[in-house]
Amino acid sequence: MRLPRPRRSAAVVAAAAGLVWAVQPALAHVGSLGTAVQNPQVPSWLMVLTGGGIVGVSFLFTSFVTDHEIIRRINRRGLALPAPATVRTAARWTVRLVAVAVLALIVVTGLVGPQSATANFAILVVWAGWWAGYTISVYAVGNTWPALNPWRTVAELLPRIDDATYPERFGSWPSVVGLLGLVWLEVVSPVAENARLLVGFVLLYTVVTLTGASVYGAGTWFERVDPIARVFRWYGRAAPVQFGREGVSLTLPGTALVEGTEPRGEGEAAFVVALLWATTYDGLVSTPAWTTLADAVVGTGVPALLVYLVAMAVGFVVFLWVYRRAAAWSRRTADSYVSASFVRRWFVPALIPIAVGYHVAHFLGYFLTLSPALAAVAAAPFAPPANLQALVLPDWFGTLQLAFVVLGHLLAVWLSHALAFEVFPGRLQPIRSQYPFVFAMVFYTMISLWIVSQPFTEPPYV
Amino acid sequence: MTETPTPETTVPDGETPRARCPYCDRPFGREALCDLHVGEIHADVCTDAEREAYAEADEQEVDDLFFYHMKVVVVIGVSYALFVLVYMAVLGAT
Repeated sequence: MRLPRPRRSAAVVAAAAGLVWAVQPALAHVGSLGTAVQNPQVPSWLMVLTGGGIVGVSFLFTSFVTDHEIIRRINRRGLALPAPATVRTAARWTVRLVAVAVLALIVVTGLVGPQSATANFAILVVWAGWWAGYTISVYAVGNTWPALNPWRTVAELLPRIDDATYPERFGSWPSVVGLLGLVWLEVVSPVAENARLLVGFVLLYTVVTLTGASVYGAGTWFERVDPIARVFRWYGRAAPVQFGREGVSLTLPGTALVEGTEPRGEGEAAFVVALLWATTYDGLVSTPAWTTLADAVVGTGVPALLVYLVAMAVGFVVFLWVYRRAAAWSRRTADSYVSASFVRRWFVPALIPIAVGYHVAHFLGYFLTLSPALAAVAAAPFAPPANLQALVLPDWFGTLQLAFVVLGHLLAVWLSHALAFEVFPGRLQPIRSQYPFVFAMVFYTMISLWIVSQPFTEPPYV
Repeated sequence: MTETPTPETTVPDGETPRARCPYCDRPFGREALCDLHVGEIHADVCTDAEREAYAEADEQEVDDLFFYHMKVVVVIGVSYALFVLVYMAVLGAT
């Protein structure tokens, strides 16, 4: 879902904050991944090729770790933490009440607070605080959303209006459509700048969510349908802190993704691919190549919104097709009778670190840039100080962001390797099963790096 | 992973698997893969003969893996050399 345009919004804040515009050339690139490739010596095609090369070669290195026990031991390193039940219950209710209060404050300040995007509590809390900062905490620390989710708190207090059982044949597909729909709405509407529109979306989401939860039950709704809860659940599995039935445990980042063998439906693979594509799409529409393409297509009389919608759908189908081809091909390179459908569902958790790497690359800088303004506005939601500050990030930050994209893929290669050793016998068969997935991951890396190396261009017609 | 799952399998039409696991009926394209599977997954219930077959298949795997790793080392070396050359060419030209 989300996705405000971080680079544009950061520039808006800097301008509104009244920062000295004499330093504009430096500021214009703040939080922009473009800076990392302004280095005149290394051309962007070489940077993209290098990223792909690093991911490909990392696969070759993983081929040296072929002992089942060692792979399991690495992924199972962890620590159980004690958490007394009374402390947990008290903490849970405190955070739940605070979360519901913050949601109410978002609605009120969105409607009656200062309407300037950079001084509005609702805009800053939703985009910088929640979608950037909080999401980072979910994969960097742990998934606290089930405890925090204000809609869940409210839904659990409301009576069921129906006790319909969720139709199994829908699987995860409604949440796939919901996720892609949310991102499309964010891209084509000014919801990242217009506080009243944002409140409108929040209220619409509230109505849909509460209705759904009271028809199918809160548990089913937030587990199977709600795209936001599902995004956080997947991101949370990459986190070092895991909240399980047996309590809290500490693991190596990402390794919880290979734990648990619960059967996953076909839609689950599609959901993770949709998450990957959604972040890519947001970056893609702000490249010069997209502007050229959109100009050409809209010039022939096609409505702009339709162009954005079709691009969203086509890109998703291409990403899903690449993944499905990789799974079907893996069956052959591994010389195995394991069904392609099983392979697709089995390897899907390995894609999560890629989505995480891409999210952190886009949003860490955005969050840090806006954090002083966020803190100031959170302290006084109805009367924010007139002179809001923005943090100026150092030049090397862009390189760090590129490193996150590559690191996400490296972790994905390792997890995929570990998953392969769980399902194919011997040592060579699991390694050979990975060839197609390595190609798919190199493809994803190069697309991501190409997008972030492009100069930011305002998405046209929206 | 708490335990290794039994994956769904599909055998293409007109093809007969060379081997099937006697415990979980999973089909395999080669005897050796079946022996490895039995030794890894059903180690607690398998017979002495199957254990021996596993040891043999595993030894063969270790040998094959050695040659495989030789090739991997060559590919890593070549990739490294190619990247160094490309960087030298690009950086030298500017």
